[in-house]
Amino acid sequence: MEVTVWSGWLAGLAIGLFVVLHFWLIGKPAGCSTGYGNVCGLLCKKVRYYHEGEYATKSNIKLWFLVGIPLGGLLAALTSKGAWQMSFDMGMYEQILPQSDAAKAIWLMFGGMLLGFGARLAGACTTGHALVGGAMLNPPSLLAGAVFFGSALLTTQLLFNT
Amino acid sequence: MSKVSHELPLLKSSALTLMNFVHAYRINILGLLMGVMFGFLMSRAGATTFDFHVKLFLFEDLQLLKVIGTAVIVAMLGVFMLKKLHINALATGTEVDFVKKPYQQGLIAGAFLFGIGWAMTAACPGTIPAMIAEGKIGAVFSLIGLLLGTLAYGILQSFIAHNGSYRAAMK
Repeated sequence: MEVTVWSGWLAGLAIGLFVVLHFWLIGKPAGCSTGYGNVCGLLCKKVRYYHEGEYATKSNIKLWFLVGIPLGGLLAALTSKGAWQMSFDMGMYEQILPQSDAAKAIWLMFGGMLLGFGARLAGACTTGHALVGGAMLNPPSLLAGAVFFGSALLTTQLLFNT
Repeated sequence: MSKVSHELPLLKSSALTLMNFVHAYRINILGLLMGVMFGFLMSRAGATTFDFHVKLFLFEDLQLLKVIGTAVIVAMLGVFMLKKLHINALATGTEVDFVKKPYQQGLIAGAFLFGIGWAMTAACPGTIPAMIAEGKIGAVFSLIGLLLGTLAYGILQSFIAHNGSYRAAMK
């Protein structure tokens, strides 16, 4: 199964309208990575940080937004051509990653840790900083977005071109 | 004194219960629906496909650059309009809060680590749940890592807030 992909301009237009719709309906900027803090709070009762301040209430819009994302992904996959199937194929990464499944899993877990820790240290992820923060022309978000891109560019170049 | 019955017909009673539920949880329900829309759009944009991320950073296919570039410009115009018209948010009835993420210490270091994670997993926190639902097994491991990384930050912050006392930070 290969998911259907729209032209970049159309998908960008739709996502831009989504950001505006989110502001209009909810009254707050859209964001993804903060919701993972709610999940950590639900999973680990003892970590004080995820029970205080903005994490005092855990069943909030940030958490439910996160719950909705896989439903949307499933909807997108089911409306694509071909039957839904599970696969550990990683496309172009297969050329550079070790062939064993365990090594791929460890690689992805390590990358995921950098995403999670980095997003909290930077305050938001690609959605909160680059997309929504960029739309509000918020200087720290523009800086974070530029560093996200720069660092991912450098890492990909090192991985594939050296 | 006659006994007053508070019982309504079953259909009306369940309709009222449902309406009450929807009203009480309207923000969370809207959040869920927005999440569904976001996940769907991420998939249609190609952000859940490994190769589009690699090809972007190797300058072979600029699909995702078109997506985020168009999205930011459209959103910018929309935010400008909402601000100009002083629109109220539908869920809260109060004016839209354009709260901006502040600069925080560690932003550049965090963003740098995030970028490395992005290039390693070809995903970001918003696309990982959608990738799992599409049947991409790799994203399950990215999610485990993502939660561990988020947890590590919380543990670190709890220690700092309680002057490194394990007892005070973990209770």
